[in-house]
Amino acid sequence: MNRPASIRTAVEARLARRHRAERRFQFYGAAAICLAVAFLALLIGSILIQSVPAMTTWRMTLQVELDRAAIDPRGDMSEASLRRGGYNAAIQQALRDQFPDVEDRAELRELFGLYSSVNAARLLNRVVQDPSLVGGTVSFTFPIDDDADLYLKGVSVRESRAPGPAPVRIQAGEGRAVTLSAEARVFDAFVDDVREAARERARILEQRAERAEAALADAIDRDIRAIYEAEARRARAQAERLRDRLDEGAPVVIGPQIPSLLVQVDGAVIRVSDVSADRRSARGEMVISAPLGEAAHSDWTLWTIETPQAGRLISDRQIAWVDALRERGMTRSGFNTELFTYADSREPELAGVLGALIGSVLTMFVTMLLAVPIGVGAAIYLEEFAPKNRITQLIEVNINNLAAVPSIVFGLLGLAVFINTFGLPRSAPLVGGIVLALMTLPTVIISSRAALKAVPPSIREAALGVGASKTQAVFHHVLPLAAPGILTGSIIGLAQALGETAPLLMIGMVAFIADAPSLGLAGFTEPSTVMPVQIFLWSSAAERAFEARTAAAILVLLTLMVSLNAAAIYLRRRFERRW
Amino acid sequence: MQISVLVALTLLVLIAFGFLTGRRRALSVRAQGGPRLHSLPNYYGYYIALWTGGPALVLLAAYGAFGSGLVNTLAMSQLEREAAPLIAEFERQLDADAQIIALLEEAAEADADAMEAREAITRARDSGLDPQAFQGALAGHTTRLTEIGARLDQRRGEIARSVAARAPSSDAGIRARSGFEFWNSPRERRELFLADARAIAFGEGLASRNTPELRAAALAMRPVEDIFRWSVAALVLSMAVGGLAWGRSRVKASFRARNRVEAAISGLLMFASIIAILTTLGIVFSLLFESLRFFASIGWRVGDFLFGLQWSPQIAIRADQIGQSGAFGAAPLFAGTALITVIAMSVAVPVGLFSAIYMSEYASKRVRAVAKPILEVLAGVPTVVYGFFALLTVGPFLRDFALFLGYEDAVTQSALSAGLVMGVMIIPFVSSLSDDVINAVPQSLRDGAYAMGATKSETIRHVVLPAALPGIVGAVLLGVSRAIGETMIVVMAAGQGANLTANPLESVTTITVQIVTLLTGDQEFDSSKTLAAFALGLVLFVLTLMLNIIALRVVQRFRERYE
Repeated sequence: MNRPASIRTAVEARLARRHRAERRFQFYGAAAICLAVAFLALLIGSILIQSVPAMTTWRMTLQVELDRAAIDPRGDMSEASLRRGGYNAAIQQALRDQFPDVEDRAELRELFGLYSSVNAARLLNRVVQDPSLVGGTVSFTFPIDDDADLYLKGVSVRESRAPGPAPVRIQAGEGRAVTLSAEARVFDAFVDDVREAARERARILEQRAERAEAALADAIDRDIRAIYEAEARRARAQAERLRDRLDEGAPVVIGPQIPSLLVQVDGAVIRVSDVSADRRSARGEMVISAPLGEAAHSDWTLWTIETPQAGRLISDRQIAWVDALRERGMTRSGFNTELFTYADSREPELAGVLGALIGSVLTMFVTMLLAVPIGVGAAIYLEEFAPKNRITQLIEVNINNLAAVPSIVFGLLGLAVFINTFGLPRSAPLVGGIVLALMTLPTVIISSRAALKAVPPSIREAALGVGASKTQAVFHHVLPLAAPGILTGSIIGLAQALGETAPLLMIGMVAFIADAPSLGLAGFTEPSTVMPVQIFLWSSAAERAFEARTAAAILVLLTLMVSLNAAAIYLRRRFERRW
Repeated sequence: MQISVLVALTLLVLIAFGFLTGRRRALSVRAQGGPRLHSLPNYYGYYIALWTGGPALVLLAAYGAFGSGLVNTLAMSQLEREAAPLIAEFERQLDADAQIIALLEEAAEADADAMEAREAITRARDSGLDPQAFQGALAGHTTRLTEIGARLDQRRGEIARSVAARAPSSDAGIRARSGFEFWNSPRERRELFLADARAIAFGEGLASRNTPELRAAALAMRPVEDIFRWSVAALVLSMAVGGLAWGRSRVKASFRARNRVEAAISGLLMFASIIAILTTLGIVFSLLFESLRFFASIGWRVGDFLFGLQWSPQIAIRADQIGQSGAFGAAPLFAGTALITVIAMSVAVPVGLFSAIYMSEYASKRVRAVAKPILEVLAGVPTVVYGFFALLTVGPFLRDFALFLGYEDAVTQSALSAGLVMGVMIIPFVSSLSDDVINAVPQSLRDGAYAMGATKSETIRHVVLPAALPGIVGAVLLGVSRAIGETMIVVMAAGQGANLTANPLESVTTITVQIVTLLTGDQEFDSSKTLAAFALGLVLFVLTLMLNIIALRVVQRFRERYE
């Protein structure tokens, strides 16, 4: 009697299950799309964030005195003579004037490390253009070294400043050595921080040693045992050394592995080298000197650079100098125009994408000139003229396969045929353009054929009906109607070629090119690089400042590609016709 | 350069003139009365312009492509003939030199030792022993070989210098020395020599050196180049004028100018479509040819190349190294490629397939209008950008995550980060192809399933997907072929080490990475290291071609079934 009811409940239960399955399935689909969108957002977002430090750059302005004898060695004011002048020495002198107490050679090298000597060439060009500057003083602005730039942006170095808690007395010693002493434990906070960090590191090291020992117990192979043993021993020894430093009774010696401490007082900057065990006094040296009396100073600053010297590329002294320059108003942050007006450089602060942009334009010009006419011609032949036979079929299969051949294979073709057989120049936009044209040809052909196919046969028949020849019907009537579609396909193919890297690596476009190629006929055979290759080169550069510049270059490339694709979409919307 | 530009400009003027002549002549024929013109007057103009410009332009292009090479060859072969006595003397001394003979013997010995060590390694591996000790010995022999090679080079250089110094410093002597220097240079030095000589002779760019030998070569080039330039210019112009006259003589009322012009046009169009075939042939032949040279250089041990377990081509750096000491066993590369492809496809297939299903079956028009362009953007992002993303964002994140989970040996450049990002790159590829395929499944199949009470997801799972399966398989295969051939992501994010591992957290290397590594930087085109890249390229091409052919076949079958 209750069987129908049980069937009913069973069906209802199943139905609920089926509906749950339905919702689950739909959820998977939506999740997949959300995942794809999230990936895109993450990609663009991370590149945007990474590119922020490259958008601005810090520049230094120095009053450079152009001494007549040094700048014009021959004394005849000729261009040849001016080109032999000592411009870098003039800039160096201007920088030394800012910090007169720097005398040691090693210290001078650090000071001159605040800018790249390549900048002297810019000063030279300015003087050659305007020789009347010789003998006077010019205000010369140039980008500061990339490490100092990153420091000023607050990217690479963590630091903190605190007012001195109690008055401190400063006694000058031999040379620039000074001794700081106070009644209260003024270095308490710093020493506590250092000890805390050391304790933390020692804990990690001991953990590592324990893990290695545990692994050692399991290992059987002799070589592997030896490796683990060494690892454990090393970690133990390091931890031991750190524990020594933790000893309350010992003075804290500031080495490259622990945070640095600077003291600012009355315009002077003192770099502390060790703090005594009672945390009341410390020894150090003047980095930037100023006359300091014997009296106790109550207005002073404890300046802790938390990133240890071993973890950054800018030294304590350089930080003090850069900070002083900023205080004196000689450094200023501005929009990074160098990124767009300079070609590549080994110095990140002087590296730009201009050379790669010009290279890309030249390469794309060649690609366009070859791929579009040949591609459209092939499409017209296959769609309108070709007899349906074996050869035509072969060509069609061939084009479809060519579209899926990895791009790097086209690079190999270019290397073997155009460079090694025909002897065309390496690294040249001409060869790059030819290779990319061969690569985009299938895309152009396929999209052009689709556009031609979309023109209704009635157009052809009408043209033939009034006595046009087949060629006339195609060129006078079908082609103009298919033109928007062909154009769209060609632009999309070109955008694809614009972002292509691998085949260009094969034909030697990875070389470091410091000069932008000329935007003329000669530029096609000069060595050059293109945007994506520039991105690849920068991404593998060692300097950290290149990381942000790579992201910025990617944004430039993406902007180019988006505008090309937007042009394609606009053309399609504007001229598309439906039948 | 100037002459060529001048000739090209004159040619353009002549072509324009030819067109106008043809047109005018046709019009005058019509004005005279008589029979009606066969074609429109413009076609007569096109006809003459074609005859004026066509052959002349072909000749000019051929000169532009091969002219300078021909001049170089002619001039240098002349100098080399003059250097014949020096060359003979050099070879005589080379054969007689005791030091070189000793070095060659030593090299043969070292080579034999290296061979033995390599065999010992193989034997040790086969019998499950540790080949470490033999590997050390092999490395020792290899360094010895390199050293011997360097000493040989040095001695050869010394002899060459002493021979060259013997030539008199008269003009003839310097010419002979120039020919000798060219003859004695390896390939890339020859290119530099020629480039410098051309720079001195014709002011094309800046010369890197300026020696008496280079000046002599430049002097030898100049007359040859002059003769060529002027004769080509004369030939081009006379061809143009002759073509013009010939075309003009044929213009009559009954002449079928339009048919001729149209035949020429369709010939051109056919040529354009044949370029695609020429490209394929170029790829196949260049890869095959260089691969054969590579296999010849490793003694036709193709099996060792395809299945060998050790990949360290970097040892075989020197061009004239005696014997082959690099190890070209590509199995680790194939394994690395497979590992990354598997990771990539396990991201791309589920995400791509589900988004295709959602887009074609569930999504409203509004969602489609937003989601589809976003997927297209994902497809349009340059691969170098994905590589940067993998290197600086995904790689460090995965490493830190692995460290957090307690895996100690995590590295930034890992198979996992490259594979994941490559999977993201392939998502739009799989999804748009599957979308097409799912949309091509006839509505009647769905309606039938609904009529039997199936829910939407049941319809999709039991009716639509099985029907679309061949097409989806084709899409996945195309995705796989793309993953195998993708270069930049793996170059930047997967690392260089040829590890034979299945651990996705280790760094692996792939076929494409090794092609790039072997071919970027300094290279001589004849070393087996460079040629190995072409052999890898051949493997890559054959692999992707097979996948493509199968995939295209499968998709075509599927389409035929429902059309």
